[in-house]
Amino acid sequence: MRSDQTQTGVRHRWPDRAFHWVMAATVIVLTGSAFLPILGIRFDWVPIHWISGIVLVVAILFHLVRVFAVHGFREMIPGPEDIREAAGDLAGRAGGLKPAKYDAYQKSYHWASAIAVLAVTITGVIMLLKIDTPFWRRDPSIMSDQDWGVVYVIHGLSSLAILFLVILHVYFSILPEHRAMLRAMIAGRGPLFARGNTHEQD
Amino acid sequence: MELLRYTKDVFGQKMLVGVNWELLWIPGAAAGLVIVVHFLLRARRRAR
Ligand code: HEM
Ligand code: HEM
Repeated sequence: MRSDQTQTGVRHRWPDRAFHWVMAATVIVLTGSAFLPILGIRFDWVPIHWISGIVLVVAILFHLVRVFAVHGFREMIPGPEDIREAAGDLAGRAGGLKPAKYDAYQKSYHWASAIAVLAVTITGVIMLLKIDTPFWRRDPSIMSDQDWGVVYVIHGLSSLAILFLVILHVYFSILPEHRAMLRAMIAGRGPLFARGNTHEQD
Repeated sequence: MELLRYTKDVFGQKMLVGVNWELLWIPGAAAGLVIVVHFLLRARRRAR
């Protein structure tokens, strides 16, 4: 992706960048605290896990407020242009696309991770009733054991999906051709369009 | 390989407990594979 200097501006405002990095930090801590013990590295992971889980829930609520009150959904909604883009890409053709803040791959990644993260957080909040904390006592009686099993399965499968998605996301974000996007997520300024204009000579 | 993990409850019935963590390597390996394939295609495209 070539970033055209004529179309740079503020790509991500500071509250959105703060959200992204708080979410990234909590997701990494949540994944590490859950999977390292499974890999045999033993420590008292549950408090680290549920506390960062609650931070993630608060961050997601903040993001939803920003989306509803400030941004709107339009730029992240998939459309026919995304199919054209992906098809052209597979066929080795580029160009002729309408400018858009997010390309088809970014939208796919956003929605895949949004669904997986929502599934893991909704089940995670329910699972808070399976543990004792200084603020509440465990109370598994709200559901049958079989239903708890289903909640744990959804939490587990979505956590595996998140592991897959996050590894790929970090790989793509550190590629040199995406440096302008990485800079935009750190400092704010960057290309206003990920698709169209900039893509022509890709 | 089983996708899910079960135990027996006090009545000896099969009871769902969660995901089978023997599968943890799969998302890691799948992501690694996508990365290798992408990296090779990218190198080929750049060589042209
Ligand atoms: C990226 C996000 C997350 C990942 C990868 C993740 C992963 C996991 C995994 C692998 C387990 C073990 C489940 C099992 O033994 O079958 C677990 C348990 C748990 N998680 Fe999460 N989780 C995430 C987010 C959350 C959130 C947001 C919350 C709460 C708000 C949460 C609360 C819990 C609780 C309470 C347990 C149960 C601990 C126990 O049974 O002793 N998790 N998580
Ligand atoms: C060290 C880890 C991470 C790095 C370096 C990173 C980097 C980035 C960058 C540079 C962007 C901006 C792309 C753009 O401007 O269009 C971005 C967007 C995004 N990130 Fe991350 N990120 C990380 C972790 C995470 C995690 C853990 C999640 C959640 C599972 C996440 C979810 C997202 C989403 C949903 C977007 C918007 C879609 C997109 O633009 O691709 N990120 N990330």
